[in-house]
Amino acid sequence: MSANILTVLTKFYDEYQKNTPQRLKIIDAYLGYIMLTGIVQFVYCALVGTFPFNSFLSGFISCVGSFVLAVCLRVQVNPSNKSQFYNLSPERAFSDFIFASIILHLVVMNFIG
Amino acid sequence: MAAAVGAIVMLALMVICSSVHGAGRTLVLLDNMAMKETHSIFFKSLSDRGYDLNFKTADDPSLKLINYGEFLYDHLVIFAPSVYEFGGNVDVAAITNFIDGGGNVLVAASSDIGEPLRDLGAECGIEFDEDKTAVIDHLNYDVADDGQHTLIVANTADIIEAKTVVGEKATSPVLFRGVGMTADPDNPLVLDVMHASSTAYSFYPDENISEYPHAVGKNTLLLAALQARNNARVVFSGSVDLFSDEFFQAPVQKASPGSKKFPLSGNQNLAVALSKWVFREQGVLRVGQVKHHKMGESTPPVAYTVEDDVEFSIVIEKLAGDKWVPFDGDDVQLEFVRIDPFVRTTLKRKGGKFFTQFKLPDVYGVFQFKVDYNRVGYTHLYSATQVSVRPFQHTQFERFIPCAYPYYVSAFSMIAGVFVFSLVYLHHKEERKEKAE
Repeated sequence: MSANILTVLTKFYDEYQKNTPQRLKIIDAYLGYIMLTGIVQFVYCALVGTFPFNSFLSGFISCVGSFVLAVCLRVQVNPSNKSQFYNLSPERAFSDFIFASIILHLVVMNFIG
Repeated sequence: MAAAVGAIVMLALMVICSSVHGAGRTLVLLDNMAMKETHSIFFKSLSDRGYDLNFKTADDPSLKLINYGEFLYDHLVIFAPSVYEFGGNVDVAAITNFIDGGGNVLVAASSDIGEPLRDLGAECGIEFDEDKTAVIDHLNYDVADDGQHTLIVANTADIIEAKTVVGEKATSPVLFRGVGMTADPDNPLVLDVMHASSTAYSFYPDENISEYPHAVGKNTLLLAALQARNNARVVFSGSVDLFSDEFFQAPVQKASPGSKKFPLSGNQNLAVALSKWVFREQGVLRVGQVKHHKMGESTPPVAYTVEDDVEFSIVIEKLAGDKWVPFDGDDVQLEFVRIDPFVRTTLKRKGGKFFTQFKLPDVYGVFQFKVDYNRVGYTHLYSATQVSVRPFQHTQFERFIPCAYPYYVSAFSMIAGVFVFSLVYLHHKEERKEKAE
């Protein structure tokens, strides 16, 4: 059983390294960073308690929101999805990402207290 | 002309003099005028201290305590145990009204007690035993007793330990012959000044005991005191002989073999100290100026804010002679109350000023600074000052909450992350795969 999982994971990792374009790997690195920050915040809240609940929510939502927006960007920019997004250029996808990020961070700054 | 001026001056002087003695007008009701002589030492001690004594028999038809709504006397002494009915306008209701108006009363009964005194005691929470009963103690009676064991010797240990009420600790026992009293021990206003020993009881001296005595052992009160809620004082004594010259000058020796003989009884010291307490010469306190303000300021604000530092001070004075001197108690407490006390501290003393500093609790509302001083023998002091405490203004909260710093840091790092990511992403050049031609 474990041998199977290990071979699957190794194969997955090799495929990923060989076949993913560099751009997507940059986005993946960014996603990993966001996830780390989100996990750290959540563990801190679980330990210390929810005292300034609005601050916790805004910090956590900022991580979750950024993660979602970055995933959307990756999906729209991925060349293998070109058939589904035929009238959406990568530049358009990126500008949507930036616009939505601005609105997200505006809301977060207001709510963080 | 000169004579007229002289007469007017004399009149003015007389008016002034009479007003100076106004605070000591005392009505003394006696069974018969012979008691003026049998109790002369006690009455002399009163008049020496400036009391204006008016002696009347208890059934005198001209008795009046109140005239056109004003009390004619400040103090009342009733040495008339066997009175059947008070004369004039005086009755138990009038005396109770007198106490409610702030007058002090000293009542002494004896085995020949009449109904009015028993009713008066009942109004004040003291139950006298029936007429013709006496306090009997077969183990603590004096050698001069007539055989019925009613001339009892009250030990100094059975007298309350309160310097303001009974003076310094007695060195000789006290002689007592009279009727016993009981009081409800839960009554917060009644003081047990002197009680009988545990071998005493109160019953008819000539009869066999056929029913449970009214008072038994230490429940038999010989001297009881009441300080009413308006600080008027009433003392009930079961024995009018306790105040007599005969008892003041008598030696005391218990009739049991080998007991010590005291050349002089403790009656006079006890009686004089009691009279000082009951006529409000001793143990009288009053509240002076009450001040409260924020630390560093000198006037109170319109409303305090939650968690302020506050300073409170109160001046308490004691009557000594006819001057008010600073009080020297060390257990005056302050309560900061909003229905329940939130802060309770002992006040520190400097001269007559009692003060403290404390931090208001983190609760808003309408509070009172309460000083409620209720000690045995002293007047009951109650001072309440009401203040409001308001919650924080919107701008008085802390701007950045220290325990939320991780959240602030993560939010800003997300913004920085977007910025850095977009820089890297946009400037990234796709490596062109070299097509092998």
